[in-house]
Amino acid sequence: MGFQFPSLRTLSARGIHGVAGIFTMLLVFALAACLAANSAWAGDPKPTPDNTIHISLATAVAPQKFPRPVKFFVGDVVDRAGNAQPMLITSARGGIFVDRLPADTVREALESSLKAADLLSPDAASADFILNVYLFHFGLAPSLGDFFGKVELAVVVKDPKGGKSQQISASGTSISHVAKLKRNEMKNLEADFNGALADAIRNLLRGQALHDAVASAAAAQAPA
Amino acid sequence: MRNLAAISLAALAGIWLAAAPLAAKDSNPKFKTVEAKHFDRAEGVELTPEFSDYLYAELRTRLEKTKMFGQVIGEGEVVEEADAPASVVLTGTLTEYKKGNVVESKVIGFGTGKRSLKVQVNVLRRSDQKNIKSLNIHVKALPNWNEKILAVEAARQIANEVKDSLEHEGS
Repeated sequence: MGFQFPSLRTLSARGIHGVAGIFTMLLVFALAACLAANSAWAGDPKPTPDNTIHISLATAVAPQKFPRPVKFFVGDVVDRAGNAQPMLITSARGGIFVDRLPADTVREALESSLKAADLLSPDAASADFILNVYLFHFGLAPSLGDFFGKVELAVVVKDPKGGKSQQISASGTSISHVAKLKRNEMKNLEADFNGALADAIRNLLRGQALHDAVASAAAAQAPA
Repeated sequence: MRNLAAISLAALAGIWLAAAPLAAKDSNPKFKTVEAKHFDRAEGVELTPEFSDYLYAELRTRLEKTKMFGQVIGEGEVVEEADAPASVVLTGTLTEYKKGNVVESKVIGFGTGKRSLKVQVNVLRRSDQKNIKSLNIHVKALPNWNEKILAVEAARQIANEVKDSLEHEGS
Protein backbone atom coordinates (compact mmCIF):
# COMPACT_ATOMS: atom_id res chain seq x y z
CA MET A 1 0.00 0.00 0.00
CA GLY A 2 2.43 2.61 -1.05
CA PHE A 3 1.47 6.23 -1.84
CA GLN A 4 0.35 6.64 -5.41
CA PHE A 5 1.69 9.76 -6.96
CA PRO A 6 -0.75 11.60 -9.26
CA SER A 7 0.26 11.40 -12.84
CA LEU A 8 1.01 14.85 -14.21
CA ARG A 9 -0.34 15.71 -17.59
CA THR A 10 2.48 16.17 -20.00
CA LEU A 11 2.43 18.84 -22.64
CA SER A 12 3.65 18.22 -26.08
CA ALA A 13 6.38 20.46 -27.50
CA ARG A 14 3.78 22.13 -29.77
CA GLY A 15 1.53 22.96 -26.76
CA ILE A 16 4.42 24.50 -24.83
CA HIS A 17 5.21 26.79 -27.76
CA GLY A 18 1.53 27.88 -27.93
CA VAL A 19 1.39 28.78 -24.24
CA ALA A 20 4.68 30.63 -24.47
CA GLY A 21 3.33 32.60 -27.43
CA ILE A 22 0.20 33.63 -25.50
CA PHE A 23 2.26 34.70 -22.49
CA THR A 24 4.59 36.74 -24.69
CA MET A 25 1.65 38.51 -26.30
CA LEU A 26 0.09 39.27 -22.91
CA LEU A 27 3.44 40.63 -21.70
CA VAL A 28 3.72 42.88 -24.75
CA PHE A 29 0.15 44.19 -24.24
CA ALA A 30 0.76 44.85 -20.54
CA LEU A 31 4.01 46.66 -21.35
CA ALA A 32 2.30 48.79 -24.01
CA ALA A 33 -0.56 49.68 -21.62
CA CYS A 34 1.92 50.67 -18.90
CA LEU A 35 3.88 52.85 -21.33
CA ALA A 36 0.71 54.55 -22.59
CA ALA A 37 -0.56 55.21 -19.08
CA ASN A 38 2.84 56.46 -17.99
CA SER A 39 3.09 58.90 -20.89
CA ALA A 40 -0.45 60.15 -20.16
CA TRP A 41 0.19 60.70 -16.47
CA ALA A 42 3.73 61.97 -16.67
CA GLY A 43 3.20 64.66 -19.33
CA ASP A 44 1.01 67.61 -18.32
CA PRO A 45 -1.15 68.99 -21.14
CA LYS A 46 0.63 71.63 -23.16
CA PRO A 47 -1.02 74.67 -24.78
CA THR A 48 -1.23 74.54 -28.55
CA PRO A 49 -3.28 76.67 -30.98
CA ASP A 50 -5.78 73.80 -31.17
CA ASN A 51 -6.55 73.70 -27.46
CA THR A 52 -6.39 77.42 -26.63
CA ILE A 53 -9.30 79.84 -26.39
CA HIS A 54 -9.39 83.64 -26.32
CA ILE A 55 -11.30 85.44 -23.59
CA SER A 56 -12.33 89.07 -24.04
CA LEU A 57 -15.37 91.30 -23.85
CA ALA A 58 -17.53 91.18 -26.96
CA THR A 59 -18.72 94.72 -26.28
CA ALA A 60 -17.46 97.19 -23.73
CA VAL A 61 -19.52 97.44 -20.55
CA ALA A 62 -21.13 100.86 -20.12
CA PRO A 63 -20.26 102.09 -16.62
CA GLN A 64 -22.75 103.91 -14.39
CA LYS A 65 -23.08 107.68 -14.42
CA PHE A 66 -21.41 109.42 -11.52
CA PRO A 67 -22.67 112.68 -9.96
CA ARG A 68 -19.44 114.43 -10.96
CA PRO A 69 -17.03 113.60 -13.79
CA VAL A 70 -14.34 111.21 -12.57
CA LYS A 71 -11.39 109.44 -14.14
CA PHE A 72 -10.09 106.03 -13.16
CA PHE A 73 -6.67 104.51 -13.59
CA VAL A 74 -6.24 100.76 -13.49
CA GLY A 75 -3.23 100.20 -11.23
CA ASP A 76 -2.13 96.70 -10.28
CA VAL A 77 -4.06 93.66 -11.35
CA VAL A 78 -2.84 90.86 -9.10
CA ASP A 79 -3.81 87.23 -9.45
CA ARG A 80 -4.57 85.92 -5.97
CA ALA A 81 -6.33 82.76 -7.11
CA GLY A 82 -3.34 80.67 -6.06
CA ASN A 83 -3.57 78.61 -9.21
CA ALA A 84 -0.28 76.95 -10.16
CA GLN A 85 -1.34 76.85 -13.82
CA PRO A 86 -3.47 79.98 -14.28
CA MET A 87 -3.85 79.48 -18.03
CA LEU A 88 -5.11 75.91 -17.77
CA ILE A 89 -8.92 75.80 -17.64
CA THR A 90 -9.35 72.07 -17.54
CA SER A 91 -6.92 69.19 -17.87
CA ALA A 92 -9.61 66.89 -19.28
CA ARG A 93 -9.49 65.90 -22.96
CA GLY A 94 -5.83 66.80 -23.35
CA GLY A 95 -6.30 70.18 -21.67
CA ILE A 96 -7.96 73.47 -22.62
CA PHE A 97 -6.04 76.72 -22.10
CA VAL A 98 -6.59 80.45 -22.31
CA ASP A 99 -4.19 82.45 -24.45
CA ARG A 100 -3.37 85.09 -21.83
CA LEU A 101 -2.93 85.33 -18.11
CA PRO A 102 -6.26 86.01 -16.33
CA ALA A 103 -4.84 89.23 -14.88
CA ASP A 104 -4.10 90.55 -18.40
CA THR A 105 -7.58 89.59 -19.59
CA VAL A 106 -9.26 91.39 -16.69
CA ARG A 107 -7.06 94.47 -17.13
CA GLU A 108 -7.91 94.71 -20.82
CA ALA A 109 -11.63 94.27 -20.16
CA LEU A 110 -11.63 96.93 -17.47
CA GLU A 111 -9.53 99.44 -19.42
CA SER A 112 -11.50 99.00 -22.64
CA SER A 113 -14.82 99.57 -20.83
CA LEU A 114 -13.55 102.67 -19.02
CA LYS A 115 -11.96 104.00 -22.19
CA ALA A 116 -15.17 103.57 -24.20
CA ALA A 117 -17.01 105.69 -21.64
CA ASP A 118 -14.18 108.26 -21.47
CA LEU A 119 -13.53 107.42 -17.83
CA LEU A 120 -9.98 106.12 -18.24
CA SER A 121 -7.11 108.25 -17.11
CA PRO A 122 -3.80 107.88 -19.02
CA ASP A 123 -1.72 107.91 -15.83
CA ALA A 124 -2.07 107.58 -12.08
CA ALA A 125 -1.13 111.22 -11.42
CA SER A 126 -4.09 112.66 -13.28
CA ALA A 127 -6.61 110.09 -12.06
CA ASP A 128 -9.31 110.75 -9.49
CA PHE A 129 -9.33 107.12 -8.45
CA ILE A 130 -6.86 104.26 -8.81
CA LEU A 131 -8.33 100.79 -9.09
CA ASN A 132 -6.09 98.01 -7.77
CA VAL A 133 -7.68 94.74 -8.72
CA TYR A 134 -7.16 91.43 -6.92
CA LEU A 135 -8.36 88.42 -8.83
CA PHE A 136 -9.63 85.72 -6.49
CA HIS A 137 -11.21 83.41 -9.00
CA PHE A 138 -11.00 83.12 -12.76
CA GLY A 139 -12.10 79.80 -14.15
CA LEU A 140 -14.43 76.94 -13.58
CA ALA A 141 -16.18 76.62 -10.25
CA PRO A 142 -17.72 73.47 -8.78
CA SER A 143 -20.84 72.72 -10.74
CA LEU A 144 -23.71 70.30 -11.04
CA GLY A 145 -22.57 68.75 -14.29
CA ASP A 146 -22.28 71.80 -16.57
CA PHE A 147 -19.49 74.31 -16.99
CA PHE A 148 -19.92 76.96 -14.33
CA GLY A 149 -17.61 79.86 -15.13
CA LYS A 150 -16.89 82.27 -12.32
CA VAL A 151 -14.90 85.49 -12.03
CA GLU A 152 -14.43 87.02 -8.59
CA LEU A 153 -12.69 90.31 -8.04
CA ALA A 154 -11.80 92.42 -5.04
CA VAL A 155 -11.02 95.98 -6.01
CA VAL A 156 -9.31 98.58 -3.84
CA VAL A 157 -10.58 102.00 -4.88
CA LYS A 158 -7.88 104.46 -3.89
CA ASP A 159 -8.34 108.19 -3.85
CA PRO A 160 -4.78 109.51 -4.44
CA LYS A 161 -5.66 113.04 -3.33
CA GLY A 162 -7.40 112.14 -0.09
CA GLY A 163 -5.36 109.00 0.48
CA LYS A 164 -8.48 107.05 1.37
CA SER A 165 -8.88 103.45 0.17
CA GLN A 166 -11.99 101.32 0.10
CA GLN A 167 -12.38 97.73 -0.91
CA ILE A 168 -15.29 96.54 -2.98
CA SER A 169 -16.01 93.17 -4.55
CA ALA A 170 -17.57 92.07 -7.81
CA SER A 171 -18.36 88.72 -9.30
CA GLY A 172 -19.72 87.24 -12.47
CA THR A 173 -21.01 83.80 -13.33
CA SER A 174 -22.11 81.97 -16.41
CA ILE A 175 -23.35 78.47 -17.15
CA SER A 176 -22.76 76.54 -20.35
CA HIS A 177 -23.32 72.97 -21.40
CA VAL A 178 -20.75 70.22 -21.70
CA ALA A 179 -20.35 69.11 -25.30
CA LYS A 180 -19.42 65.76 -26.75
CA LEU A 181 -16.84 67.09 -29.18
CA LYS A 182 -13.82 68.95 -27.85
CA ARG A 183 -14.22 71.65 -30.52
CA ASN A 184 -17.76 72.39 -29.32
CA GLU A 185 -16.67 72.20 -25.70
CA MET A 186 -14.03 74.88 -26.40
CA LYS A 187 -16.69 77.07 -28.04
CA ASN A 188 -18.99 76.64 -25.04
CA LEU A 189 -16.19 77.39 -22.61
CA GLU A 190 -15.21 80.52 -24.53
CA ALA A 191 -18.79 81.80 -24.47
CA ASP A 192 -19.08 80.84 -20.81
CA PHE A 193 -15.93 82.68 -19.75
CA ASN A 194 -16.75 85.73 -21.87
CA GLY A 195 -20.16 85.85 -20.17
CA ALA A 196 -18.71 85.51 -16.69
CA LEU A 197 -16.08 88.18 -17.40
CA ALA A 198 -18.67 90.62 -18.78
CA ASP A 199 -20.91 89.94 -15.79
CA ALA A 200 -18.09 90.64 -13.33
CA ILE A 201 -16.98 93.85 -15.07
CA ARG A 202 -20.59 95.00 -15.25
CA ASN A 203 -21.10 94.14 -11.58
CA LEU A 204 -18.05 96.27 -10.75
CA LEU A 205 -18.61 99.28 -13.01
CA ARG A 206 -22.37 99.46 -12.52
CA GLY A 207 -22.33 98.37 -8.90
CA GLN A 208 -23.74 100.29 -5.97
CA ALA A 209 -20.47 99.58 -4.13
CA LEU A 210 -18.40 101.62 -6.61
CA HIS A 211 -21.01 104.36 -6.56
CA ASP A 212 -20.81 104.54 -2.75
CA ALA A 213 -17.00 104.45 -2.76
CA VAL A 214 -16.82 107.38 -5.18
CA ALA A 215 -19.51 109.30 -3.31
CA SER A 216 -17.85 108.85 0.09
CA ALA A 217 -14.47 109.95 -1.31
CA ALA A 218 -16.12 113.03 -2.79
CA ALA A 219 -17.81 113.78 0.54
CA ALA A 220 -14.48 113.47 2.37
CA GLN A 221 -12.84 115.88 -0.08
CA ALA A 222 -15.60 118.47 0.18
CA PRO A 223 -14.77 121.37 2.57
CA ALA A 224 -16.65 121.23 5.88
CA MET B 1 -57.57 89.90 -61.79
CA ARG B 2 -55.17 92.77 -61.28
CA ASN B 3 -57.77 94.61 -59.27
CA LEU B 4 -58.23 91.57 -57.03
CA ALA B 5 -54.48 91.37 -56.42
CA ALA B 6 -54.30 95.08 -55.66
CA ILE B 7 -57.22 94.84 -53.22
CA SER B 8 -55.62 91.84 -51.49
CA LEU B 9 -52.31 93.67 -51.15
CA ALA B 10 -54.07 96.76 -49.80
CA ALA B 11 -55.99 94.65 -47.28
CA LEU B 12 -52.77 92.93 -46.12
CA ALA B 13 -51.03 96.29 -45.77
CA GLY B 14 -53.99 97.59 -43.77
CA ILE B 15 -53.90 94.61 -41.40
CA TRP B 16 -50.14 94.98 -40.99
CA LEU B 17 -50.42 98.70 -40.24
CA ALA B 18 -53.23 98.10 -37.74
CA ALA B 19 -51.30 95.32 -35.99
CA ALA B 20 -48.02 97.24 -35.77
CA PRO B 21 -49.00 99.48 -32.82
CA LEU B 22 -50.40 96.45 -30.95
CA ALA B 23 -47.13 94.59 -31.44
CA ALA B 24 -45.18 97.65 -30.31
CA LYS B 25 -47.37 97.87 -27.22
CA ASP B 26 -46.69 94.21 -26.42
CA SER B 27 -42.93 94.70 -26.73
CA ASN B 28 -42.97 97.52 -24.16
CA PRO B 29 -41.91 96.03 -20.86
CA LYS B 30 -44.01 96.87 -17.82
CA PHE B 31 -41.01 97.47 -15.55
CA LYS B 32 -37.75 99.19 -16.41
CA THR B 33 -35.45 96.89 -14.48
CA VAL B 34 -35.54 93.86 -12.21
CA GLU B 35 -32.78 92.83 -9.86
CA ALA B 36 -32.74 89.25 -8.66
CA LYS B 37 -30.79 88.63 -5.50
CA HIS B 38 -29.27 85.37 -4.30
CA PHE B 39 -31.94 83.68 -2.19
CA ASP B 40 -31.32 83.10 1.50
CA ARG B 41 -31.93 79.68 2.97
CA ALA B 42 -33.67 78.81 6.18
CA GLU B 43 -32.06 76.55 8.74
CA GLY B 44 -32.26 72.90 7.81
CA VAL B 45 -32.36 73.39 4.05
CA GLU B 46 -29.70 70.94 2.93
CA LEU B 47 -28.87 71.97 -0.61
CA THR B 48 -25.37 72.38 -2.04
CA PRO B 49 -23.88 75.90 -2.20
CA GLU B 50 -23.88 75.58 -6.01
CA PHE B 51 -27.67 75.33 -5.98
CA SER B 52 -28.03 79.00 -5.01
CA ASP B 53 -25.70 80.08 -7.84
CA TYR B 54 -27.59 77.94 -10.33
CA LEU B 55 -30.95 79.21 -9.16
CA TYR B 56 -29.72 82.82 -9.39
CA ALA B 57 -28.26 82.38 -12.89
CA GLU B 58 -31.29 80.50 -14.17
CA LEU B 59 -33.73 82.95 -12.59
CA ARG B 60 -32.07 85.85 -14.41
CA THR B 61 -32.43 84.00 -17.71
CA ARG B 62 -36.08 83.15 -17.02
CA LEU B 63 -36.93 86.71 -15.97
CA GLU B 64 -35.54 87.97 -19.27
CA LYS B 65 -37.83 85.57 -21.10
CA THR B 66 -40.96 86.94 -19.40
CA LYS B 67 -40.51 90.22 -21.37
CA MET B 68 -42.01 92.11 -18.44
CA PHE B 69 -38.75 93.82 -17.61
CA GLY B 70 -36.69 96.12 -19.78
CA GLN B 71 -33.46 94.93 -18.23
CA VAL B 72 -32.47 92.19 -15.82
CA ILE B 73 -29.63 93.68 -13.82
CA GLY B 74 -27.05 91.94 -11.67
CA GLU B 75 -27.03 91.90 -7.91
CA GLY B 76 -25.99 95.23 -6.41
CA GLU B 77 -26.14 97.26 -9.62
CA VAL B 78 -27.29 100.85 -9.63
CA VAL B 79 -30.43 102.06 -11.34
CA GLU B 80 -31.07 105.56 -12.63
CA GLU B 81 -33.19 107.52 -10.16
CA ALA B 82 -35.80 108.17 -12.81
CA ASP B 83 -36.16 104.42 -13.42
CA ALA B 84 -36.34 103.44 -9.74
CA PRO B 85 -40.15 103.75 -9.32
CA ALA B 86 -40.65 101.42 -12.28
CA SER B 87 -38.03 98.94 -11.10
CA VAL B 88 -38.36 95.95 -8.83
CA VAL B 89 -36.09 93.83 -6.69
CA LEU B 90 -36.66 90.13 -6.17
CA THR B 91 -35.62 88.64 -2.84
CA GLY B 92 -36.42 85.23 -1.52
CA THR B 93 -35.83 82.51 1.02
CA LEU B 94 -35.66 78.77 0.54
CA THR B 95 -37.84 77.86 3.48
CA GLU B 96 -38.14 74.07 3.27
CA TYR B 97 -36.52 71.27 1.31
CA LYS B 98 -37.38 67.57 1.36
CA LYS B 99 -35.14 65.16 -0.53
CA GLY B 100 -37.91 62.77 -1.49
CA ASN B 101 -37.79 59.02 -1.64
CA VAL B 102 -37.14 57.07 -4.83
CA VAL B 103 -38.55 53.80 -3.47
CA GLU B 104 -41.73 55.47 -2.25
CA SER B 105 -42.06 57.25 -5.59
CA LYS B 106 -41.64 54.01 -7.59
CA VAL B 107 -43.66 51.66 -5.36
CA ILE B 108 -46.55 53.86 -4.26
CA GLY B 109 -46.55 56.52 -6.99
CA PHE B 110 -49.38 59.06 -7.19
CA GLY B 111 -46.97 61.91 -6.38
CA THR B 112 -45.62 60.43 -3.16
CA GLY B 113 -41.89 60.52 -2.47
CA LYS B 114 -41.29 63.57 -4.65
CA ARG B 115 -38.66 66.17 -3.91
CA SER B 116 -40.18 69.29 -2.48
CA LEU B 117 -38.82 72.81 -2.26
CA LYS B 118 -40.72 75.70 -0.74
CA VAL B 119 -39.64 79.22 -1.62
CA GLN B 120 -40.91 82.51 -0.32
CA VAL B 121 -40.42 85.30 -2.85
CA ASN B 122 -40.87 89.01 -2.22
CA VAL B 123 -41.15 91.56 -4.99
CA LEU B 124 -40.06 94.99 -3.76
CA ARG B 125 -40.43 98.32 -5.51
CA ARG B 126 -36.92 99.75 -5.79
CA SER B 127 -37.75 103.39 -5.08
CA ASP B 128 -39.36 102.90 -1.65
CA GLN B 129 -38.60 99.23 -0.93
CA LYS B 130 -42.32 98.62 -0.60
CA ASN B 131 -43.33 94.97 -0.80
CA ILE B 132 -45.53 94.76 -3.89
CA LYS B 133 -46.08 91.02 -3.85
CA SER B 134 -45.29 88.16 -1.55
CA LEU B 135 -45.44 84.72 -3.11
CA ASN B 136 -45.18 81.25 -1.64
CA ILE B 137 -43.99 78.85 -4.30
CA HIS B 138 -43.93 75.09 -3.91
CA VAL B 139 -41.72 73.25 -6.37
CA LYS B 140 -42.09 69.50 -6.69
CA ALA B 141 -39.72 67.30 -8.62
CA LEU B 142 -38.99 63.63 -9.13
CA PRO B 143 -36.59 62.29 -6.48
CA ASN B 144 -34.10 61.08 -9.09
CA TRP B 145 -33.68 64.55 -10.59
CA ASN B 146 -30.44 66.26 -9.67
CA GLU B 147 -30.23 69.68 -8.03
CA LYS B 148 -29.51 71.42 -11.31
CA ILE B 149 -32.82 70.32 -12.80
CA LEU B 150 -34.53 71.28 -9.55
CA ALA B 151 -32.96 74.76 -9.78
CA VAL B 152 -34.09 75.13 -13.39
CA GLU B 153 -37.63 74.05 -12.50
CA ALA B 154 -37.71 76.34 -9.46
CA ALA B 155 -36.51 79.31 -11.53
CA ARG B 156 -39.11 78.61 -14.23
CA GLN B 157 -41.90 78.43 -11.68
CA ILE B 158 -40.75 81.56 -9.80
CA ALA B 159 -40.47 83.60 -13.02
CA ASN B 160 -43.93 82.48 -14.18
CA GLU B 161 -45.58 83.27 -10.85
CA VAL B 162 -43.86 86.65 -10.61
CA LYS B 163 -45.04 87.43 -14.13
CA ASP B 164 -48.63 86.36 -13.38
CA SER B 165 -48.76 88.34 -10.15
CA LEU B 166 -47.26 91.51 -11.66
CA GLU B 167 -49.35 91.54 -14.80
CA HIS B 168 -52.20 93.31 -13.07
CA GLU B 169 -50.01 95.43 -10.80
CA GLY B 170 -49.69 99.17 -11.51
CA SER B 171 -46.11 100.22 -12.08
